[in-house]
Amino acid sequence: MAHMEYNVPSERWPVHPETATLEGKNKFVGFWIFLAGETALFASLFATYLALKDSVPGDDHLLAAELFALPLAFVMTMFLLTSSLTSVYAVYHMRNNNFKQMQLWLAVTVLLGLGFLSLEIYEFVEYVHLGHTFRTSAFGSAFYFLLGTHGFHVAIGLVWITGLILRNAKRGLSVYTAAKVNTAALYWHFIDVVWVFIFTIVYLLGVM
Amino acid sequence: MATTAKKKGFGSVIWEYMTTVDHKKIAILYLIAGGFFFVLGGIEAMLIRIQLAVPNNDFLSGGLFNEVITMHGTTMIFLAAMPLLFAFMNATVPLQIGARDVAFPFLNSLGVWLFILGGIFINLSWFLGGAPDAGWTSYASLSIDSPGHGIDFYAVGLQITGAGTLISGINFVTTIINMRAPGMTYMRMPLMTWTTLVASVLIVFAFPPLTIGLFLLIFDRMFGSSFFLVETGGNTIIWEHLFWIFGHPEVYILILPAFGIFSEVFSTFSRKRLFGYSAMVFSTVLIGFFGFMVWAHHMFTVGLGPTANAIFALATMAIAVPTGVKIFNWILTIWGGSIEFTTPMLYGLAFIPTFVMGGVTGVMQGAAPADYQYHDSYFIVAHFHYVIVGGVVFGLLAGLHYYWPLMFSTMLSEKLGKITFVLFVAGFHITFLIQHFLGLWGMPRRVFTYLDGQGYNTANMISTIGAVMMAIAVVVLVINIIITVAKNKQVGRDPWGDGRSLEWSLPLPVPYYNFAQIPLVRGMDAFWIEKEANDGKMMPAESLDDFHMPNNSILPFIMSLGLFIAGFGALYFASGKEWAISAVSDMPQHPWALWLLIIGLAITAGAMITRSLKDDLGYYVTKEEVLRDLEEEERGAK
Amino acid sequence: MAEIKQEPLSKSKLEYLRTQRTKEMRQQMVSFGMMIFLTFVAFGMVAMDLDSRFVIPIVLFMAVVQVILQFYYFMHMKDKGHEFAKLFIMTGMYFGIAFVVTFLYITWIGSPI
Repeated sequence: MAHMEYNVPSERWPVHPETATLEGKNKFVGFWIFLAGETALFASLFATYLALKDSVPGDDHLLAAELFALPLAFVMTMFLLTSSLTSVYAVYHMRNNNFKQMQLWLAVTVLLGLGFLSLEIYEFVEYVHLGHTFRTSAFGSAFYFLLGTHGFHVAIGLVWITGLILRNAKRGLSVYTAAKVNTAALYWHFIDVVWVFIFTIVYLLGVM
Repeated sequence: MATTAKKKGFGSVIWEYMTTVDHKKIAILYLIAGGFFFVLGGIEAMLIRIQLAVPNNDFLSGGLFNEVITMHGTTMIFLAAMPLLFAFMNATVPLQIGARDVAFPFLNSLGVWLFILGGIFINLSWFLGGAPDAGWTSYASLSIDSPGHGIDFYAVGLQITGAGTLISGINFVTTIINMRAPGMTYMRMPLMTWTTLVASVLIVFAFPPLTIGLFLLIFDRMFGSSFFLVETGGNTIIWEHLFWIFGHPEVYILILPAFGIFSEVFSTFSRKRLFGYSAMVFSTVLIGFFGFMVWAHHMFTVGLGPTANAIFALATMAIAVPTGVKIFNWILTIWGGSIEFTTPMLYGLAFIPTFVMGGVTGVMQGAAPADYQYHDSYFIVAHFHYVIVGGVVFGLLAGLHYYWPLMFSTMLSEKLGKITFVLFVAGFHITFLIQHFLGLWGMPRRVFTYLDGQGYNTANMISTIGAVMMAIAVVVLVINIIITVAKNKQVGRDPWGDGRSLEWSLPLPVPYYNFAQIPLVRGMDAFWIEKEANDGKMMPAESLDDFHMPNNSILPFIMSLGLFIAGFGALYFASGKEWAISAVSDMPQHPWALWLLIIGLAITAGAMITRSLKDDLGYYVTKEEVLRDLEEEERGAK
Repeated sequence: MAEIKQEPLSKSKLEYLRTQRTKEMRQQMVSFGMMIFLTFVAFGMVAMDLDSRFVIPIVLFMAVVQVILQFYYFMHMKDKGHEFAKLFIMTGMYFGIAFVVTFLYITWIGSPI
């Protein structure tokens, strides 16, 4: 019998359901390699930002120290950090073959991510009112490109995880869907890793 | 699903290729598209050489010349050399490691369509208001200033093909890590697989910086940002860094698979195992690593300062060491072998001295103070053509002859192949050897003409004559291909008679599932071992049984098409807007551009959502079908 | 493409697995607590306006610690079968640091090193 069974009965639920199939293993390896590529991508973005962060056309343009508000960045960090933990819960329940709990924690992750994203949009709107836009200075371009790329990743992650919750609602948990959930969780953690560098390098070092 | 010998209609063949996820068919797509762009780039090269043949020539205007050199470089690197290498990687790697397909067949198809549509996108610039004209490096100060939409085609088109390349890179790394047959340990993998692995790793790390660089350019030109606009605080050196952080690994992405092809060719036609296999592997990895640490040697004259220049000069010269290790290993592989002078082997033999010459001039330029003299002269042009043509293109031509039977189960004519070889290699050296001296005599590169009486006349004429010989060689090659396809004389298993690695153990044409039973690998040169021990029959690692194959899909094409459409939207977005850079702000407005951008992205997103909402579980090839194929082959062999 | 090779787990094996996973979850909770703490300290130090020569290295160090926790505990990099993942991410980080350093020091023609 070489035919793949995706819906394994619960007594034979594998120890590592996400890598139980060859497709799952490929997804797992391929996604880590993708994340390594993303590391190079964000490194280039950070490098660009650091090279341009003090570059504005004149003295009347606001710089990081005048713009950034630490409390907001702190709240955003808390949102994203906590969502990282909730996606850990989701993977934990996935490994224990507990579909309902997994769906629940994925949903909580999405909500926290939404919170983060709305705060970020609020922040951008505030800055635009202060005259700090994508087009006014090289600093503005670099700032919005770095933060925007991260925010775009968050948005993609939200669509992705929401899609997973919806598509799996009827299908339930199988080794086929487990691999998908695990990949999405890895992606979400990676977004958090990038954010750690953003709040450190952009916000904390920016206001000093 | 079974590939039957029945004649299929033309439409269904086209549909099959548009939806295929089979790595062998994708290899053919890469070969056809890459070959087309190679000819296109070659025509552009001929135009350059005709223009430069005599002083004060007015065959091309200065502006058109700039467009032609830009498109020649861009086409040859991104649309010809890399896809052709992908063709051979796709055709061989899964077979060499004993897999039924790559790790992500769907993404493989997405990669090829992104490349093809991105390539078409760039070349459409010829018909839509002029091609890019800032050189293939497209340095920011020049490219921001370039009027019209040429540079936009370059930036958006490369973004699309670049995404395809990155996807393919990830795919190959995963395939090689995960899909090796039982017994195929890392240190038993053929060199072609090893070089593919290292080149793919380089792709994973080198293409994201290019993506960022291109986005900066796109945003500046199309969305009003100011990364490179000095008056609002921008810095054009950032483009140079990002481009060369990508650009230098890129040349190793090109040369390493060519090294792989040559390693296979040398050991096959010397009938010896590769000399110093582990040193070869180690030097491949080392070249890959060093390849990332040297990019600023393209920027010595920018004024980075003596410390930075010294560091990068040292790292540059260090790369010569692992490359030298490889050269000696190849020579020692040939040494004492029973050599067969087939066409691929001839290219290999021509490659060694040619590449050494290119390498030596490379080390000369690595010395930063000396580079101030060579910089932007024809010496540089001669150097990189010696490594890229003498290394990569010779490798591609060797690979074309060597792997042709594996891909099409026919043989290219050896006689015509040797004519091509002589014309091409002779033409190549006539064209480019003299350009070293032109450079040292002071002729700058990228100029569209030169004055009479500067002492450049004879040398340029010689160079043009050599280029004509290369063109004739390519024509002979095309004739060879047409004759071979028309004759369609099928060959059987192991057509060269001396195949060593797993891919030659398969019947030709290779069944769509590659291996009826995944083979057991008992050592390096797996097929050679079984030839000596087991009459050339591979030992199976699994019992004959049903196995799983992926479904075809049209979605990769639709995703790529969406990005292609969105590309036009982005391209025309800034036309005539008041915030746009002066290069495009005077052009007519296109209110539909935004809609095109949105529609294109929506098509791509829709295709992606369809892909993830549907369960695509593939299908099973039954044991009965495999048995039938095996019997048929048995009958054919008798 | 093989089928799932998982044999039905015995009760004691299952029990063991469950406790292992709970233990891992506890580790993850601890690392989460540490991340929150590190974030708090980092923001606090900056808010207190201490000497920047003192704060910058510490803040950067705490970011690195957080990232390691994230990778090793949240993304399971400490588990078996993650060797290539470590290799790739570390290579990426190494190249990334090289990019940042060059951009910091050699983008300005005005002050060559």
